[in-house]
Amino acid sequence: MKRYLGERFASWARWRQGADTLPVSVYYRRIYILPTRAGWGFALLLFGMFIAALNYSNSIALFLTFWLGGFALVVMHRCHRNLLGVRLTGATTAATFAGDSGALDLTLENPAALIRYGIEADLPGAAAVARDLDAHGAAGMTLAVPTKARGLMRIDRLRLTTALPFGLLRAWTWVYLPLEMIVYPHARGALPLPATGGAILGAELRGAAEGDEWLGLRGFRDGDSPRQVAWKAYAHGAPLLVKEYESRGAAERHFDFERLANLDTERRLEQLTQWVVEAEHRGERYALALPTLNIAADRGARHQERCLAALALYGLAPLRNPQARGA
Amino acid sequence: MLKREPFAPTLWSTAAFVGGALLHIDRIALWATAVLLVCAAWQLYTARRQLPIPSRPVRVALTFLLVAAVLALFHTLNGLAAGTVLLVVMGAIKLLETQNRRDRYIVIGAALFLLLAACLDRQALARAPLYVAETVLCCSALAVAAYGAAGLPARVAASLAMRTLLLALPVALVLFLFFPRLPGGFWALPASDEAVTGLSDSMSPGSISELTSSYEPVFRARFAGAAPPPQERYWRGPVLHNFDGYTWRHTSGQAYRAQPLHYLGQAYRYSITLAPDANRWWFGLDIVTGSPDKHVAFSYDYTLIASAPVTQPTTYEAVSYTHTESVAPLSPFARNKETALPPARNPRTQELAARLRAHTKTDEEFLRAVVEHFRTGGFEYSLTPPKLDADSVDDFLFRTRSGFCGHFASAFVALMRAGGVPARVVTGYQGGEWNPIGGYFVVRQSDAHAWAEVWVDGHGWQRIDPTAIVAPERLRRGILDLLPDALSGRTRLLHATAWLTYLLQGWDALNTAWNARVVNFDVNSQLKLLERLGLPSADWTALVAALGSGLIVWFVWIAWHIGRSAAPRPHDRLARSYARLCAKLARAGIARDAYEGPLDYAARIAGHRPDLAPRAQPLLARYAQLRYGPMKRKATTAAIAAFERMVLRCHLERRR
Repeated sequence: MKRYLGERFASWARWRQGADTLPVSVYYRRIYILPTRAGWGFALLLFGMFIAALNYSNSIALFLTFWLGGFALVVMHRCHRNLLGVRLTGATTAATFAGDSGALDLTLENPAALIRYGIEADLPGAAAVARDLDAHGAAGMTLAVPTKARGLMRIDRLRLTTALPFGLLRAWTWVYLPLEMIVYPHARGALPLPATGGAILGAELRGAAEGDEWLGLRGFRDGDSPRQVAWKAYAHGAPLLVKEYESRGAAERHFDFERLANLDTERRLEQLTQWVVEAEHRGERYALALPTLNIAADRGARHQERCLAALALYGLAPLRNPQARGA
Repeated sequence: MLKREPFAPTLWSTAAFVGGALLHIDRIALWATAVLLVCAAWQLYTARRQLPIPSRPVRVALTFLLVAAVLALFHTLNGLAAGTVLLVVMGAIKLLETQNRRDRYIVIGAALFLLLAACLDRQALARAPLYVAETVLCCSALAVAAYGAAGLPARVAASLAMRTLLLALPVALVLFLFFPRLPGGFWALPASDEAVTGLSDSMSPGSISELTSSYEPVFRARFAGAAPPPQERYWRGPVLHNFDGYTWRHTSGQAYRAQPLHYLGQAYRYSITLAPDANRWWFGLDIVTGSPDKHVAFSYDYTLIASAPVTQPTTYEAVSYTHTESVAPLSPFARNKETALPPARNPRTQELAARLRAHTKTDEEFLRAVVEHFRTGGFEYSLTPPKLDADSVDDFLFRTRSGFCGHFASAFVALMRAGGVPARVVTGYQGGEWNPIGGYFVVRQSDAHAWAEVWVDGHGWQRIDPTAIVAPERLRRGILDLLPDALSGRTRLLHATAWLTYLLQGWDALNTAWNARVVNFDVNSQLKLLERLGLPSADWTALVAALGSGLIVWFVWIAWHIGRSAAPRPHDRLARSYARLCAKLARAGIARDAYEGPLDYAARIAGHRPDLAPRAQPLLARYAQLRYGPMKRKATTAAIAAFERMVLRCHLERRR
């Protein structure tokens, strides 16, 4: 019941607030506040004190009750204020394998000259992470995102909350960022790596590896890794140049979806994932062939990522927001 | 082993509870305090050492044992005293099993309830700081408990609690002043088991001198106009009619009808604040004209008897006369009652009365003869007279001849009655100490007194003070001057030093004001306050209106006050001043872009708004210089202050 009401409330807030874009400033209109269990207990205590004081017609007891009542009201404003003005400036997801826990990295900023104690962030159904924000400070926090199936995981909303100071009330705000996280298939499979194909010599863009041969410099193109840029030359006034190396003696493997005929689709994807991870680990070149997509042989983190993403999204809707693919 | 949370929250919640219980330390049984302290010490020790809490059977057994102990002590679990002890011991057991946040909240709640019980119990000004300290302690403990495992530093917690309570003070005051009070309680309160002090409804030889060693104030009286001279300051208490030869007793109820009175001389208007003493007597100056309260009976002998014991400081107003006359004859029944003596007791007194009566024709002559007997009979005023035997009046009049006011009054009235003249003993207080700071009289137990009232046909009841006949100085000077041994050495010492006396009087005046203004604040005080605030009609609707507007004002203020500190605020003075300048320029129509430095901004202003440039440009240049310029010129406090002033003075118009 409580969960149902919470969901209804959250979707009402979504309708009321609309979608968010970074950076998100937590302003008045989007903060909700309710007493905690301790707060309800405190209210009950105050009520009891109030009745007792009235019944005894006792001014001092009555003043104490009013003072504590006022205290609770100030606590309400302080709790609200603890969240008010907090800025969420970063929210990035890191891709992960199904079954593992993914990560949502948040950056919170405090533009005000006050210390904010115990700002918590959580995702629906997951444990909260709490941080203190120093005056004019920032803090990063990493939320664990539980994953089950491969594919594109959408994180509809996250919640920033605080019950401090005093824990009598809880103020919260929902943030509706279009966050997506790629969940790769679970890397598992019993089959050994397929045999290597013929070695192909060629120049490709990548960082230097042991045994590679220097080829020369060429002009920078979009998509080149910063690690390949010849920064020293750039510092001396040259245009942006990229260093090229030749890979030597690297074997090349072909991972083909169609060849794993005796497995069902998901098993095949898991097996292919397993191979990609292993080949990359060995530093070998590999190509991936899916019924919908062929990826030429290559190696390196970007290549692996591309392959894994293709495996994750095989047969599913394309990315809604390519930027959210993450690091 | 159970995993326990860190030490600081445990320490704070334990301290809050122990603090709450210590407010009752002189009221609760010693064993309860001992149980509490042992439990608290055990809890702190085990929490520090990360030891497990006592097992469940042990806690249950302890609970049963202690509840049984409370029951054995009080025979009830109801009422303030029993409830307090119960709360202390139950809380002590709760301390033993406190291991998470929820437990700590419960312990702090119990501490707050103990604080409330202390407020209900005692409201003296001297205790107010203790109550405030306990409130702060509880709220700090709440902050620490809420912050949890990481441990909020003690200084932060205390300052947080104090600042929050300070901000809550205005709304507490508004509620206190304007929240409509009920004239009475919801349900009857259990009778208090406070010890009764002060005058009782009987008097035996020596009972009054017991009182005089007490320096406790009985009431304070403030006169609206002139105060009566010392020899007229008789404060009437219980009037005693029945004599058994040794003890005088009050007759409750309406024994006979009050005599209609003619008031003579000056009327005295005054207000009296009774100190709570669990008695039902209210005091008034000699003859009060009527009952000051509907719960107080005005009896046939002009005494005031409340329906309930005085357990709270109580203030009332009254009008009195010190001289009255009653021309109507005394009813035979009343005459009979007020001349009654136990027949077989005090034979020598009866004999003396008969002898004096034989020489006098009228009651008045007889009265004069008795007075003369007291004056010349060699009587001595003493606080420590010899003990009297069962025929106390005989023994006093013919053997010891040494006594205190009670002895004189008793013997005088007995003699009058033996001579057939209606007479009665009046007990009360005489005199009172003038407090020049507060402008009132303090009447203490040491001022306790007894005198006589004699019926004189055609004049009515007349006050005769036999003590004043024997020791006339008793009326002019306090008991202290006359019988220095009456009071304890400490009290005498305090009174021997002028500035100490002054200090004591000041403290007493402060307490009296506290009792009158704060402790006794009620519906009437609220309505008076409304009148003083100038509200057209001082009634309930005005009260609610005042409350509502007060609350709204506070709410707006607190929302603004707290909300503004959450607003983004640049780090330093220079940045704040720069932000102000930029805001001014934005209002004038040209806002700085987020990426723009001061000099680029100045250039853009020069391009787009040449009208603003002459004033804006030097300021922006100055800012760039202060912020980014070479070190020697950079940002001394004086330079920044000058820049602040320049920004404040800079006035920029919006175009058109």
